[in-house]
Amino acid sequence: MKSLHLHVKGQSAKLMAESQESAGAGAPASTQNSWFKRYFIADANLNALCFVFILMAAVCALAFGSSMYSGANLQSMAFQIPEFGLIALGMMLAFLVGGIDLSIVANACLSGIIAGFILTGQWLPGLEEGSRIALAVVIALTLSTLMGLFNGILIATCAVSSLIATLGTMTFYSGIGMALTGGRSVVGFPDSFTSMGIAEVGGVPLIFIMFIAVMIIMAVMLEKTGNGRKLYLFGGNPVASLFSGINNKRMNLAAFTAIGFLAGLAGLTIIMRVNSAKVGYGDAYVFQSLIVCVIAGIHPAGGRGKVIGIGITTVLMQMAASSFTILQLSPYTTKLIWGLMLILVLGLTKDGRKLLNMLSQSLKKPAARRPAGSEDA
Amino acid sequence: MSFKIARSEGILLAIIAAYCAAVAVINPAFLNIDTLFDLIRTSSRDLILVMGLLLIMLSGGIDISFMAMALVGSYCATWLMMKIGWQSAAVLIPCAMLISTIMGLCNACLVSWLKLPAFIITLGTMNLFHGLMATLVGTRTFGGGILPPSFSAFGSATLFEIEGEYGAVGLTVSIIPVIIVVVLTWFIIYKTMLGRGIVAIGNDENSAIRLGFKPLYLRLFAYGYIGALAGLAGSIYICQVNAVYPDKMIGEELMVVAGAVIGGTSISGGKGKIFGAILGVIIIYLLKSTLIFLGLSASWNNFFVGIILVLSLSFTAWQEKVRNDRHLLFKVESR
Repeated sequence: MKSLHLHVKGQSAKLMAESQESAGAGAPASTQNSWFKRYFIADANLNALCFVFILMAAVCALAFGSSMYSGANLQSMAFQIPEFGLIALGMMLAFLVGGIDLSIVANACLSGIIAGFILTGQWLPGLEEGSRIALAVVIALTLSTLMGLFNGILIATCAVSSLIATLGTMTFYSGIGMALTGGRSVVGFPDSFTSMGIAEVGGVPLIFIMFIAVMIIMAVMLEKTGNGRKLYLFGGNPVASLFSGINNKRMNLAAFTAIGFLAGLAGLTIIMRVNSAKVGYGDAYVFQSLIVCVIAGIHPAGGRGKVIGIGITTVLMQMAASSFTILQLSPYTTKLIWGLMLILVLGLTKDGRKLLNMLSQSLKKPAARRPAGSEDA
Repeated sequence: MSFKIARSEGILLAIIAAYCAAVAVINPAFLNIDTLFDLIRTSSRDLILVMGLLLIMLSGGIDISFMAMALVGSYCATWLMMKIGWQSAAVLIPCAMLISTIMGLCNACLVSWLKLPAFIITLGTMNLFHGLMATLVGTRTFGGGILPPSFSAFGSATLFEIEGEYGAVGLTVSIIPVIIVVVLTWFIIYKTMLGRGIVAIGNDENSAIRLGFKPLYLRLFAYGYIGALAGLAGSIYICQVNAVYPDKMIGEELMVVAGAVIGGTSISGGKGKIFGAILGVIIIYLLKSTLIFLGLSASWNNFFVGIILVLSLSFTAWQEKVRNDRHLLFKVESR
């Protein structure tokens, strides 16, 4: 009995080590390197991402020049990034545990609508403006977190697969929103609330600063704390995590609850910026956040990827969207480009290294010097 | 051939019966042959699609690009016919089916090559197909005045008519392709090696490979089949509404997936029944068309579909979990 136990333990340690390795460059082997090296040089995917980013920035500079890099355009991009970035961060968490969450946008819309009802005084009338805003924010965030928790319970406790569970809750949440509003927008928020949405500190929008703060907190929690590492391990190899004494159920619950909180933040950001709450706002974000996760190197099978990748890719996507606007592309062409991009990136991350090797071999040059293990892309 | 109703389908039937009874008590106008014929007519597109989806989900994959395939297939076929000058709806259907089948085969190749969740891949191809169509073919709307009259003739043709309270009502011709597709799908799943292979790769791909099944060919067939059905369903739909819009149908795919799932089809593959999938779609259309009888606006539609979806999901998954726990099976991959 004891030997069996030891055997299981030994195997799980091996699995854990494997999964740690596959979790990216955060492996303990590279701790003596500087953080920069660890973050950018050792991670092939992030490397490629930075390269693409610089390329994109250069192409935009050449093609559009001042219309892309004018202060006004940069600022409007900074206003639009947070709401989408928060949703992408939520989708990243779902990807990390090997799942998917289709209900993020529906959750964001519903919590936005409920905050809207309180802000306009349709619910809980007779409150002062200040306490009304505070109450709206608290209730919206609590409700969205609860909605995330509900997803988590469906997925972790009832063992429904996340795709189907969140498909159901997406329909359900947007159904509640529809039933409450009848499809109309909730308008007429107090000025002191909407002014937060357009406030800026030294030219940088306040909501953008909030987004950066959320990103830093998430990065620290995922990559520097024990629970964060456990989440990566669970996502990469649930069998190993189970035999390592990690409570898999709690990991799933935590991830989806956190997604709910992020969705609530996104919902508040949206209603702050557009000054109205409505079902169906930002439906395209579901698809776009999937693309962001795939480009950012968050593996759909779970356990791989970094927060900073999401940050870079969100900016990249916003630049692309901005250049589409400058080029006046039709929404259909935009759709074509997004779809093509998703398939291309998926193909390149699978066989891109092989293609590159074939190319370099045909050019009679020595093959890439990177160790075979570091490229899982 | 013995036709046995499984327990989950029995529950669905009971739900439908109870719901119908409740609606009939509140609003007796519901009890009309009109309602039934209308339900069959409007749901015929999704009944065809759900058969293809069932086959895909049995293989352990999923395809959400079928609405895009239906739209692109029927739109391109109509556009071609207008260019060439053919007038018959009998040409439209094979044309659309051919175009959609090609797209389905593309999906199969991508899924087999990338070995990633089919949901993400087909989400990409859904946008890709729609974008390609709009960019290359155009985004013109073909209204009833431009379309050949044979389209609307097919769409509004009836098998027989009954004198109802509000004039004659007829059973739509579209029920014939629906029945053909259902029987064909039943035959494929239960009576051919192809169908058994698809169920086998859905249950356990490695075991299926060792048994000698070739997943690539089976996937090509399954995704091609849903492509062909999408073309058929799209053609029937444009004949019924007698107009071709470049942006209709897309966005309704998740309701068909919901129908299949309510009918007890498992997302992880290998489990699913034809009768259950049909009942699932019928429930969704029943809700859609009868809320008005209850005095509720269409805004409540998603609310009720969502409740049913969440309840049926958690119920079936919970049952399976209890069964697994009893047999000391622990499944970690259901995430």
